[in-house]
Amino acid sequence: MTAESVAVDLEVLRYRPGEGSRLENFSVQVAKGTKVLDALDAIWATLDHSLMFRRACHHSSCGACAMRINGRERLACVTQVAEAAEEHQPIRVEPLHNLPVVGDLVVDVAGFFARMTASDLVITRSAEPELPVSVDPLPASLSLRQVVVPEDLDRFIRFESCIECGICVSVCPSMAADDGFLGPAALAGIHRTREATGDATESAHLLALADGDGGVWRCHSSFECTASCPQAVDPAGRIMSLRGQILARRWGRMWGR
Amino acid sequence: MKVAEEAAPGLRRPSRWLDLRGRHEGAWAYALNRLTAIGLIAYLYVHLGVLSLLAHGPSTWNSFLATTKAPFFTALDAVVLLGVLFHSLNGIRVVLTGVGVAVRWHRLLFRSLMALAAILFLVAGLLWSIRG
Ligand code: SF4
Ligand code: FES
Repeated sequence: MTAESVAVDLEVLRYRPGEGSRLENFSVQVAKGTKVLDALDAIWATLDHSLMFRRACHHSSCGACAMRINGRERLACVTQVAEAAEEHQPIRVEPLHNLPVVGDLVVDVAGFFARMTASDLVITRSAEPELPVSVDPLPASLSLRQVVVPEDLDRFIRFESCIECGICVSVCPSMAADDGFLGPAALAGIHRTREATGDATESAHLLALADGDGGVWRCHSSFECTASCPQAVDPAGRIMSLRGQILARRWGRMWGR
Repeated sequence: MKVAEEAAPGLRRPSRWLDLRGRHEGAWAYALNRLTAIGLIAYLYVHLGVLSLLAHGPSTWNSFLATTKAPFFTALDAVVLLGVLFHSLNGIRVVLTGVGVAVRWHRLLFRSLMALAAILFLVAGLLWSIRG
């Protein structure tokens, strides 16, 4: 190892269905200034290929690496090993709460995404249209494709800062106590979609969803989602704003408006 | 260890909302609100049970009143008062933020209301000790 490498101790929650769970200790050498996700990568690469965890972008854009580090929900790809080791030795790594665990640090996000879909938020392209392309005529054998930015770009990009990491769902005590709750991210999505849509019918449908069973009234104002969201989406603020919009609509209806 | 819970499909578990590691004021408020709610409902039933002693005549009631002079009952009264103060003042926070008031200052609101709860508790203690 180079002089720049440091030893890191981690205790990782290991779980397989039917096998129960245990905390397993690992010690790995990682480069100085590295992140907790890199330490998990090092465990996987050098010590235990069976360790299950999820990651993709490595730069806080995909939300895949959300987990509990020393009891706090964070993105492992941007959490410094040195910072985590200072808090607790060994660094304790556990899966998110309030989502079923598939194995080790991997949680089942199907229910979470089903809730997000309810918000009509454009998370992924609704269809999978081919991006318009033009074929580079020069090296025909290579058949290079050049992406031409489409004019209707907003059809292809996401317009919401939420990275669907699930941290807000894990920290929310209402979510822990109530399976029927749509949850902070989905309600923030509803709020965002209402801001963006010009369609009055969709807007009314979304407000009814927020006002319905599982909607904003199941939130008990803990504000943990806003405190923990790595993207500053402010789900709690958006939930309170939706409540205001619902009350305004009810008030209007009372007066026949 | 707790992983069997992690994998189970049902998610309503006190071990989750009572796990306050790394949490902020809001989660503490949520957990304490639930616990005080349970405590106050239990107290209500105990209170009704105690009141039913009245049906057994003055001597039963008077001997019960004599028992309540014991320090244990004073401590119990203090716990009930703490529960009432916390639950009602936190309820004010939930209602205010729930209709969009002081959303951005919810932490300050919580701390201020808890300071008020502490002051009211001390005043109640003072009055109680003066009255003897
Ligand atoms: S609202 Fe924030 S915490 Fe919740 S899923 Fe989106 S990015 Fe993650
Ligand atoms: S790996 Fe994508 S957010 Fe961490």
